[in-house]
Amino acid sequence: MAEAIQKKLKAEVEKYTQMQKDVSKNMSARQKLETQLTENNIVKEELDLLGSTNTVYKLIGPVLVKQDLDEAKATVTKRLEYINGEIQRYETVLKDMEKKSEQHREVLSSLQQEFQRAQGLAVGKV
Amino acid sequence: MAEKGKMNIGHLGGVARLREENEKVVKDCESRIQHWQKVSGDYEALNERLKTLPDQLSYDIMVPFGPLAFMPGKLVHTNEVTALLGDNWFAKCSAKQAQKVVDHRMKCESRFSKDCFPVLSPKERSHCFILMDLETISSTKGDYVDIREDTGNDDAAVTKGKQRIARKPHSMPKMDAVLDLKEENEGGSGDGGSGNGTLTEEELWARLDELEKLEELQDEQDRLSDNADLNGEDTSSVSSEEEKEGDAAPPVNGLSLKPSWTSRPHSEAPPSADRKAGEDDEEEQEEGSCLPTIFFSHTIEPKKVRINTGKNTMFKFSERKEQKEHSKKKKKNGHNNGLSHHELHKITTPVDIYRLFVDVKNGEPVPRKSILKSRSRENSVCSDTSESSAADFEERRVIGRSFSHDEATHSDTSDDSPTAVPQHPASRFEAFSGTVVEKEPMPSAVPHLTIAPPALPTILERKQEEVTPDVVPPQQAPKRVSKFKAARLQQV
Repeated sequence: MAEAIQKKLKAEVEKYTQMQKDVSKNMSARQKLETQLTENNIVKEELDLLGSTNTVYKLIGPVLVKQDLDEAKATVTKRLEYINGEIQRYETVLKDMEKKSEQHREVLSSLQQEFQRAQGLAVGKV
Repeated sequence: MAEKGKMNIGHLGGVARLREENEKVVKDCESRIQHWQKVSGDYEALNERLKTLPDQLSYDIMVPFGPLAFMPGKLVHTNEVTALLGDNWFAKCSAKQAQKVVDHRMKCESRFSKDCFPVLSPKERSHCFILMDLETISSTKGDYVDIREDTGNDDAAVTKGKQRIARKPHSMPKMDAVLDLKEENEGGSGDGGSGNGTLTEEELWARLDELEKLEELQDEQDRLSDNADLNGEDTSSVSSEEEKEGDAAPPVNGLSLKPSWTSRPHSEAPPSADRKAGEDDEEEQEEGSCLPTIFFSHTIEPKKVRINTGKNTMFKFSERKEQKEHSKKKKKNGHNNGLSHHELHKITTPVDIYRLFVDVKNGEPVPRKSILKSRSRENSVCSDTSESSAADFEERRVIGRSFSHDEATHSDTSDDSPTAVPQHPASRFEAFSGTVVEKEPMPSAVPHLTIAPPALPTILERKQEEVTPDVVPPQQAPKRVSKFKAARLQQV
């Protein structure tokens, strides 16, 4: 009886750790997106400050490609929107994952209690 | 309680973890701040460069050529700068515009780094740590609180009740008493000791007040006990005297003296304190006047001083004897020697004791080898009062009393003042820390029969006894002669 519970416990623990990892991944991705968001915001501001006389370049690989100012502005805004969308997506996923992990935690605790009871009984019997 | 304990334990663990997390964040912020400082320095340098760059049309520089080489070259278009806007976006702009970009970026950086500062501010940190410390303290207190609850009643009982520590009055200051109490509490309650350590100030003050009252009570009790002892001893001695008087068939004079003597202790009992004061006054009077007008009164007894020598023996110092001797000497020697006699009787050093304890042999005072010997009881001003020699003591006292009464009738009673106690025993026995107990007066025959060599107060009755009953001593008196000398003498 105790052994079976122990096995169950182990399995549950592994699942739980996996979930925790996913959550942490999500978190890190989200942080990246956030930094990009801030950066793009700065770029947008700068582009707004720049006048039309200046040329804008985009770095694609090792090449600086000339860009139109308006195009650049449009691109940046689109990117911003994209980033925002990504962040929101990630947030929802994160929430789901957190809920799942909580459920898992409860299951784990119950299993642990059962295990302790079983152990106690075994000790008592002995 | 167990749950609470568990909670507290959990708290402890949580607090530790919280502390770790807090430390992590603090470190992170510190690193960020360092980074920001570096960055700001770089930006400052950049700003300077951008200012000075458009000053010349071209600069001669060493151009880096690969990772390891440089090439001499020229820097042209000094006002044209390609600035990184972020996210792989560049813009060609003038130096001034580049400067603007730089300024802009610095602002953004400062905004981000400001978030770290409140975390790292000492107040916040300390606040956080204080909270954590409080939590730890509370958690630990929780454990102690549990234990304290178990022993709370004991503490209350100890503090409320009278503390019975056997100690001499005036010997221990109050702080010691408080400490003793604390120690007792810790000893008694075990784990509750730490809880007792957290007694509030108010409780401590209350405890101090209690101890003060206790001390006062003890002092009063001691005073009363001293007086009671004096009175009790007087009464006991008087009672014993009465019994033995009955047995010995005392003379009429002794009987006549009895009631007065018995009345004395009773009269003595209440005004013990007053008596002392009165005696002091009398003492002052006598010393001041230096006249032979010493008043004899039976109401106030001469003091007997008991000096505790341990081993259930006490030395009795009879003031009455001394007074009689004193008066005698005054008569003989006039006023001048009064003070000297006073001084003679005054015991300030142990040497004085031995001076007083003196045997009379052949009319000369011989210092006794042992002051514990019982035979000297009656014969000296100071005498041993061990139980073994009590009987002899009583007999001698009876004899002495008869003599004293005769003296009283015959001699100048008015002048003698065996009882007007000028010499306060306490003042004489300054060297002694033992108890000073007043007793029923010694037989007053001693002063009457005193042979008063100027140096020493002597034993009087002893000489009589030696003369009258004992035949042996005279035989022992002759000086030992050596065999050879004896032989020679015989031959001669």
